Amino acid sequence: MTGANNRQQARNTRRRDHGPARPARLTALLTSMLVTAGAAQATEPRGFLETVHRHVTLTSTVPDNGDQNPYAVVVAPVSSGKIRQGDVLIDNFNNLGNLQGLGTTIVAYDPASKRTSLFAKLPRHPAYCPGGVGLTTAMTMLKSGWVIVGSTPSQDGTTRTRGDGCLLVLDANGQLVATWTGPDINGPWGNMAVLDQGTSATLFVSMAGFNLPGPDVRDPATGEPKLLHKATVLRLDLTIPQGQPPAIRSRTVIASGFGHRADQDVFLIGPTGLALAPDGTLYVSDAIGNRIVAIPQATTRTDSAGTGREVTANGLLQRPLALVLLPNGHLLTCNALNGQAVEIDPAENRQIYAQWINTNQAQSPPGSGDLFGLALRPDGKGFYYVADDMNTVVEAR
Amino acid sequence: MKPRSDRPLASRRGLFAAAGGLMATGFAAAAPDRASASNALPATEPFWGAHQGGIITPMQSHTYFAAFDLTTERRQAVIDLLRTWTNAAARLTSGRKPAPLAGQPTPQPLGGMVAPAPGDMATPADFTPPPPAMDSEIAEGLPPSRLTVTFGFGAGLFQKNGRDRYGLAAHRPAALIDLPSFNGDQLVAETCGGDLSVQACADDPQVAFHAVRHLANLAYGTAELRWAQTGYCARPADGSTPRNLMGFKDGTQTPADRDKVVWVGPEGPDWMQGGSYLVVRRIRMALEHWDRTAVSFQERTMGRQKHSGAPIGLKGEFEPLGLDRTDGDGNKVIAEAAHVRLANVATTGAEILRRGYSYNDGVNFTAERWPPWRQGMEYDAGLLFICYQADPRTGFVRMFEPMAKLDMLNQFTTHTGSALFACPGGVREGEFIGQSLFAGV
Repeated sequence: MTGANNRQQARNTRRRDHGPARPARLTALLTSMLVTAGAAQATEPRGFLETVHRHVTLTSTVPDNGDQNPYAVVVAPVSSGKIRQGDVLIDNFNNLGNLQGLGTTIVAYDPASKRTSLFAKLPRHPAYCPGGVGLTTAMTMLKSGWVIVGSTPSQDGTTRTRGDGCLLVLDANGQLVATWTGPDINGPWGNMAVLDQGTSATLFVSMAGFNLPGPDVRDPATGEPKLLHKATVLRLDLTIPQGQPPAIRSRTVIASGFGHRADQDVFLIGPTGLALAPDGTLYVSDAIGNRIVAIPQATTRTDSAGTGREVTANGLLQRPLALVLLPNGHLLTCNALNGQAVEIDPAENRQIYAQWINTNQAQSPPGSGDLFGLALRPDGKGFYYVADDMNTVVEAR
Repeated sequence: MKPRSDRPLASRRGLFAAAGGLMATGFAAAAPDRASASNALPATEPFWGAHQGGIITPMQSHTYFAAFDLTTERRQAVIDLLRTWTNAAARLTSGRKPAPLAGQPTPQPLGGMVAPAPGDMATPADFTPPPPAMDSEIAEGLPPSRLTVTFGFGAGLFQKNGRDRYGLAAHRPAALIDLPSFNGDQLVAETCGGDLSVQACADDPQVAFHAVRHLANLAYGTAELRWAQTGYCARPADGSTPRNLMGFKDGTQTPADRDKVVWVGPEGPDWMQGGSYLVVRRIRMALEHWDRTAVSFQERTMGRQKHSGAPIGLKGEFEPLGLDRTDGDGNKVIAEAAHVRLANVATTGAEILRRGYSYNDGVNFTAERWPPWRQGMEYDAGLLFICYQADPRTGFVRMFEPMAKLDMLNQFTTHTGSALFACPGGVREGEFIGQSLFAGV
């Protein structure tokens, strides 16, 4: 703790106005300070973020068709088809013209070979996906090799022309094998949480599309796009017969009433992060509410918990987006309105600290709008995140 | 007419005859036999005084004309803007760098770092982020280049969409009319109008743009750019009359009594004393069509000879037009619908001071509006027509309304942009442009 404070103090007294590169000599000095302090006190880190400071751009996420705006980040749990275990899958929400809700591609980055390939390119209007394809942060890969990804599509880059969307099921070669729709699937949006038991799985998806109008439909009182409260979290209990695609066994709305609205710049704002704890609690990042909430008994409940129990709000949170559970039991989320990642202790309902991970000063505050999807590295010692300013995926280690 | 000592004694009529032509003022001083006109011009033009610069100032070679829309609802913000703009313009025109910006809108607090790097831990503490660059510094190392900055008030300052935003509606001068539609107009709404105008002229295009860019930065949060147009004036080294993109000499003289034509007098409000009304029209020329037209027909259309600039049938550029001359058959030598005839004060009773610039914005797809109805990639180039007068009703409107219907030149020109601005009188150091408009309200 003292080491961290010393490091922080050293940074605060140094004027840095030369951009993100840190002089090597200074890094060495700081490292030695940390080691010294650590040796003197042997203090446990307060959290995960302080153990992670290097940020390395891995690859561009733009495929040949020019899709932009990477959203979901998913680490492959198995090798299957075109995918190697540990591959980082990233999907794109925008098309070549940078219109939102028109991205159709998933790329795969192989950390071993450092090569990037196109995993899947979906047809714009696959049969049975209402409104077409715009791939969102809702994506997962099962141990059985199936990839499930959400589509929240538009025609013109805004919710004015949005379709209800669907969940798309792909095989490990990136081929579409099934499309899931229904009145409970509308604007699948945030990062998925999954409990994967091989031949069965429990999938959580936030749905942020219900009744959303175009961004020009304003609330006369505020002048802002009209705020609705119909966003949900849907639990899909899946059976995955051997060698066959997953099928939905049952579907339950386990949370509802979350705020969501259209947005001129970022398409829509709604619940964007889901993380499942071992005890069955599902944590949700409520972007509109600027908070993290907890849904108890998420894996078993048969009814909606409404918006659940508030864990923490405001403070370092600046419209939280994707959410992951860390090995130390904390939650990690990233902000929409600045380039920071925030660590939260859900047991104590408090925010630990935040770290700058995107500091692009072309936005104000730095990094605003650049963060979206997050995924933990398999060894738990780092995480992957997208940089939407540069259309890249970055590893924090 | 009062002859000036440095001009040929014969009275001169140029293109847009009574108006005084494109090069109204400066090149009056630069008579054709003068070795080098530019040596006679100072390095800087004065800002403070009875009149704003850039109206009767000898024309500079470049302009950047910008119209702004006010986005603020607060009267005080408009006053603050005009004060800031006045002081900035005074600085820039004197050749000094823009003042360091204070109190400009800053980005939101970052919480911890002056300029964070990835990996820095954040804290919730507030701090002051580094200020934005704001001055583009694109004029660094360039001479003052005779920069003038001329401000104008559009109707939208007084009333916008039926709303009196700043308590000024009752003070809109009668002369600040809504320009009527003229025959043949193909106006693009986005490039018309504006609540405020800035005409920056300089002998270097980057100096002119630098001024507008700086003023736009200062206006952040109060006013935003609506439309803008660059222009240039190609001045021959021998000081002879410049040519427009149709290849004709354009501009010779000031009106006989320039001050009477240009400056608002006691008939106008206090804040317009020593001011003038500015009409700007973006006029696209069908240059490809023009180039495929015989020179003899071009001359007949204009009413002047192309090479010499002399009126049809006469020898010297500055000879009187002789509009009453007829040929053996009794037809007018200068055609009834010739441009020069229709623009002449003897025909219209109207006088304006012209100060326009050629513009050239590359090529784009257009459909010509005359037979043979050509369509295709054509030059978007022509004339950024700018004129000044004491009253547009008796100036530009009176002159152009019949011209728009009858002028043979109309089959080669299309008006795509239009605006009218009231340019207040000049001010003393310490005051701001238009100050007495706000003081009286």
